[in-house]
Amino acid sequence: MKKSGALPYAKITGVLAAGAGVLLLLPLAGLDAFLLNVLTLGFFVAVFAGSWDIVGGVAGQISLGHALFFGAATYACALLTSLAGWPFPLAAAAALLFSAAAGAAVGALSAPLKGPFVALLTLALGEAAHEFVLGQTFFSPRGAYSWGGEGGIPVLLRSQPLSPWTAYYAALAFLVLSTWLMLRVARSQEGLIWTALSGSELSARASGVDILKHKRRAFLVGAALAGAAGIGFAACVGRATADDFSLELSFQAATFAAVGGRGTIVGPVLAALVLHSLLQGTGIPPAGRVLLYALALLVTLRFFPGGVAGTLRERARRRRMVVQGNGEVR
Amino acid sequence: MSDLLLAEGITKSFGTNRVLRGVTLAVGRGEVVGLFGPNGSGKTTLANIVSGLVLPDRGRVLFEGKDVTRMTMDARFRTGISRTFQIPDPYPSLTVVESVRVALLCGQPARPAEQEERAGREEGLDSLLVRTGLFAQRYWPAAKLSQGCLRRLEFARAISCRPRLVLLDEVFSALSAKDEAELVALMRSLHREEGISFLLISHNPLILEELCDRVVAIEDGRVFWEGKPGDLARYVPAANHAHGHEDEMREEG
Repeated sequence: MKKSGALPYAKITGVLAAGAGVLLLLPLAGLDAFLLNVLTLGFFVAVFAGSWDIVGGVAGQISLGHALFFGAATYACALLTSLAGWPFPLAAAAALLFSAAAGAAVGALSAPLKGPFVALLTLALGEAAHEFVLGQTFFSPRGAYSWGGEGGIPVLLRSQPLSPWTAYYAALAFLVLSTWLMLRVARSQEGLIWTALSGSELSARASGVDILKHKRRAFLVGAALAGAAGIGFAACVGRATADDFSLELSFQAATFAAVGGRGTIVGPVLAALVLHSLLQGTGIPPAGRVLLYALALLVTLRFFPGGVAGTLRERARRRRMVVQGNGEVR
Repeated sequence: MSDLLLAEGITKSFGTNRVLRGVTLAVGRGEVVGLFGPNGSGKTTLANIVSGLVLPDRGRVLFEGKDVTRMTMDARFRTGISRTFQIPDPYPSLTVVESVRVALLCGQPARPAEQEERAGREEGLDSLLVRTGLFAQRYWPAAKLSQGCLRRLEFARAISCRPRLVLLDEVFSALSAKDEAELVALMRSLHREEGISFLLISHNPLILEELCDRVVAIEDGRVFWEGKPGDLARYVPAANHAHGHEDEMREEG
């Protein structure tokens, strides 16, 4: 079965295998603990960007509140381990379910809406959640500390802290597995239906597609993946903070997707990995980072209107059309 | 109930604009009914109500004797009413094959033997594309298709899931002579061989005369005239007839 919307499989797999190989060897090349940590967190941010792309790229529901799902998972993890005293794996499973449920709820609310209204609604919901957690204070079991607000809540692993190496390789494995999973989803029948309804809701409805149901599903899957990234991130940082819900995080995901190529999964994942590592690793102050994100966005939209991977995909398709069709590329 | 479709007493206003004022329209099994009328007469609104895109203010729509008035458009597609749009709105990034596959995936109620059927469906997809003249362009993204191919794609999508009633909204207008002749032949063979009923919306009396068993003319939101296509010329005043055709040619030019 041919799926022409995508780059040839072999090429993608080759590029990804090469990338993963480099990342596998990188720690052996004598990276210091700081850079190792930047990359480790970058892997989770990359999965987060990919999860945005499931909703905003493949299914075309531009979400500006995607951090809500990330934060829901980190907070659930933190509250369940620190306050309720759950073991981490159990808390992580619950957090995953919680973020998926949040996705289902947001999806149900936004499914009847279109285009900019989806963006506005998700923006409002994300910001509401952000403000809400900022205003919450929790007390540790014996009342010794107050948690919450900007400072956040610790995530207790209740085990030896992971060595930076172990964390790095675990995060890398998570990245590879999640990217493979997201590609599978994007190329599945469900992914085809999402691409269709993102292209034309009218034609999709006239083809028997229950668009509300499929939009809800896209949100659920994207939110669960964002939650998984959040759980890993929180476990590495050891803390859930209100920043996990921030608008900046949602915007970052959208920016990574636009730069990498919306709807390609691999593009946003790689863009997130590269941009995050460059900007965090070089110690540029936050204000400068925002400017550089904007700059990256401007440059891509000027030279690669479909994002880097999107533009490459378009070129590959044109070549194939010339070969398969009558050569009448218009 | 001998009618396949019965839209009864349909009334619809948009704001203060009363578009349909109690229209009743029936399509029999295996019948080709033409819906004729000038621009703004309410043809497309009636098609939207029959296909489930728009809800009527009053009146009801029966399909095979079942009330489908409040059924959504996608559910109606699954029960056997499909349609094309006057202005095709394709999925730009999907290829022709993928576009039709979406309808095949969602357009039929899930059956238990689905796994076995899938192979058959893919074969059916190829022959559908051959039939609609899209086989050579099957891997083209819809964004790159010509107007004629887009109409063919609309047609292929509409007939992909064995509908019993197909609404064709101005599907033959602004097409090259070759595209028009091929689509007309396709429609005839679907009608003859598979017994599909058609509701054909057009403001071109020549097409309706050629293809329909019966023509319903609406004007100003009411059924104005109903009869054999051969008598259409009598209903349409000669001057109008010629005038209407001039308009057509201007559009095409």
